[in-house]
Amino acid sequence: MANYNIDAKKDLTYDAIVIGSGISGGWAAKELTEKGLKTLVLERGRIVEHVKDYPTMNLDPWDTELRGGLTPEQKKKHQVSIRSNWVGTDTEHFWADDEANPYTEVKPFLWLRGHQMGGRSLLWGKQTYRWSDLDFEANAKDGHGVDWPIRYKDIEPWYTYVEKFAGISGEPLGLPQLPDSHFLPPMELNCVEKHVKSRIEKEFDGRHMIIGRCAHLTVPHNGRGQCQNRNRCSRGCPFGAYFSSNSVTLPAAHASGNLTIRPYSIVQSLMYDDKKEKVTGVRIIDAETNEDIEYSAKIVFCNASTLSTTQILMNSKSNRFENGLGNDSGELGHNLMDHTYRVGAHGRVEGFDDKYYKGRRPNGIYIPRYWNVDEKSKSDTFLRGFGYQGGGYRGGNPANSESFGADFKDSILKPGPWEFFITGFAECLPYHDNQVHLNKDVLDKWGQPTLAIDAEFKANEKAANKQIQEDAVEMLQKAGLKDITGFDNEHPPGHGVHEMGTARMGRNPKTSVLNGFNQVHAAKNVFVTDGACMTSSSCVNPSLTYMAITARAANHAVSELKKMNI
Amino acid sequence: MDRRSALKKTGLIAGAAVVMPSMLSILQSCKNEPRLTWQPEFFSAEEAQTIATLLDMILPRTETPGALDVKSDIFIDKVISKTYNAEGQKYMRDEIAAFNANCLEHFGANFVDLEQDKRIEVLKEAEKTSGKFNPSIWGITIGEQEPIGFYRSMKSMAIWSYFTSEEIGEKVLNYDPVPGTYDGCKPLAEIGNRWSL
Repeated sequence: MANYNIDAKKDLTYDAIVIGSGISGGWAAKELTEKGLKTLVLERGRIVEHVKDYPTMNLDPWDTELRGGLTPEQKKKHQVSIRSNWVGTDTEHFWADDEANPYTEVKPFLWLRGHQMGGRSLLWGKQTYRWSDLDFEANAKDGHGVDWPIRYKDIEPWYTYVEKFAGISGEPLGLPQLPDSHFLPPMELNCVEKHVKSRIEKEFDGRHMIIGRCAHLTVPHNGRGQCQNRNRCSRGCPFGAYFSSNSVTLPAAHASGNLTIRPYSIVQSLMYDDKKEKVTGVRIIDAETNEDIEYSAKIVFCNASTLSTTQILMNSKSNRFENGLGNDSGELGHNLMDHTYRVGAHGRVEGFDDKYYKGRRPNGIYIPRYWNVDEKSKSDTFLRGFGYQGGGYRGGNPANSESFGADFKDSILKPGPWEFFITGFAECLPYHDNQVHLNKDVLDKWGQPTLAIDAEFKANEKAANKQIQEDAVEMLQKAGLKDITGFDNEHPPGHGVHEMGTARMGRNPKTSVLNGFNQVHAAKNVFVTDGACMTSSSCVNPSLTYMAITARAANHAVSELKKMNI
Repeated sequence: MDRRSALKKTGLIAGAAVVMPSMLSILQSCKNEPRLTWQPEFFSAEEAQTIATLLDMILPRTETPGALDVKSDIFIDKVISKTYNAEGQKYMRDEIAAFNANCLEHFGANFVDLEQDKRIEVLKEAEKTSGKFNPSIWGITIGEQEPIGFYRSMKSMAIWSYFTSEEIGEKVLNYDPVPGTYDGCKPLAEIGNRWSL
């Protein structure tokens, strides 16, 4: 790919500015540039060009000195993200510098960040599911949070639109609570997963087990190659087989000729003009030179990631907005949500010892929500619902064997026992007091105030987790598994890496930050289309919804610009 | 993959008909004047001998290479030296000392100085008393994990260093860096050993 246009110094004025280049920012850049807007993408970190900047993509364990181990210096630099246990030498360069970017955990909260072009779209889990009206109507029906200003019918065409471009593989199921996407062929279940699926579907009315729906190509698509089943995705894929901004949306934006991307650009604030009642541009700090620069544009898309976007809005103070841009409602920074994580069951599967698989499929199984989907499935103990991810594989820990020596060594060269697990993701209600605020006592490397995060799972999430574990154990029992372990690691929020809310959409400017097209109510040329905009959290992975919401908002923005409404 | 021919190429099974004298016997022969052929970064010479003896008993050379053949001792020394913080390093040192102190108390000598049958007794006991790892999903242990003793963690490191060595990873286990397709149900007989990646 040609080099990106990164010379933003000569031109300080654009039609549009997009803050952030992750999943939603990449989509904003693609849509706005393809619709003819000269667009500046401000990226906090460095440029990461597809393939060229994936240094570890083909390394085997023995190719690195410590075979994945991190030095104490690296552990210090990634002191937050290593708590996820996903950071190794293979991906270390895609995780943010936690030392330079501190935050305060008023209550435990794992904030995982990726500060480079592409952001966390390089590292994400790639599970992609549509939300349904069960989700968009949830707040209105049970009274938690405020009503979403949109319904499924508003976003349905945009799901189709982004799916066709991104490439989503999966199997249709026809469930109202988990609408089918526009699918590429599904990945394959292995024999143990097929076995467990048939037992669960036979034993439990209304429960289904499917292969994960995911943003991996199972056939060549739009010039990108299909998945080679290496499962080395987070290092960057040389085949471009999974969706990332780097491999999909930013190259498209670049091809339009309208994209400028400026790396090392830390957005300090949005500049608001009291008279025009809109934002005139963005003030940045150059991360390398500490230089302050102002860029102007007709519209600004905020896609810095949920909490970073809110941090920028909070830091954007003016006479009109003393408490942060667009914060007339007082809801900016509030209603932070995530999905619960690592609660479920694990067991051993007998009867398949003569079977094995070939290939490292970067995907697992999914069990869609089955609680509170109709009158019959109503729970007495919790609102909303949960879904499970999981999978079957030959595992076992050979170190646990009580033998050693020649026979032991020969035995561990063979694959271990089949194991199977499911782990639930429960919806988190929007609570006003799950919130973030600016902390002037802790400054980042560039002297900017940082975030203090004060959020927790409450009684409803704990009740859902209890059900997750009970149901998981029961399903594995009925499926005939042995040595079943139910578990709840009681991870605090953040571990699910589905942080949502803090600048929610709503119908009423008095109780929400954004309108139905993601515009800041009182500054209509500012759009927030990353996770910050979410009004509720559903129980399914949110990234596909960010993509669809962003494409829809970009379409609206260009239409409003043409009508001279903004 | 034809593993036997792959191994033959490397000369690893040239002497397979004869039981190879393991590194262990070399160590035994010079137990009064411990001599290492490499310079540890972290271990003392005595600690390195202890670890080497342990590794060789857990994963000895058979028709396939043993842990010492793939330099697991040198790798583990490097990992402790370069990835452990001071606290972790002290813990490791204390644990090796405690392991030897236990041998001394029950059998009258440090681990490397014991006869082989006594060493086997020590390891059999350690297998019973050093805990078991819980299953883990997506890199993190699930449920309440009991404490893991020195022997079990060293055994785990031995297996990790063995499987991730180039020799074993490419030539003994099934090495397939770019599988292309996924086949979810193949007869094990068609595959053989576990996949290395």
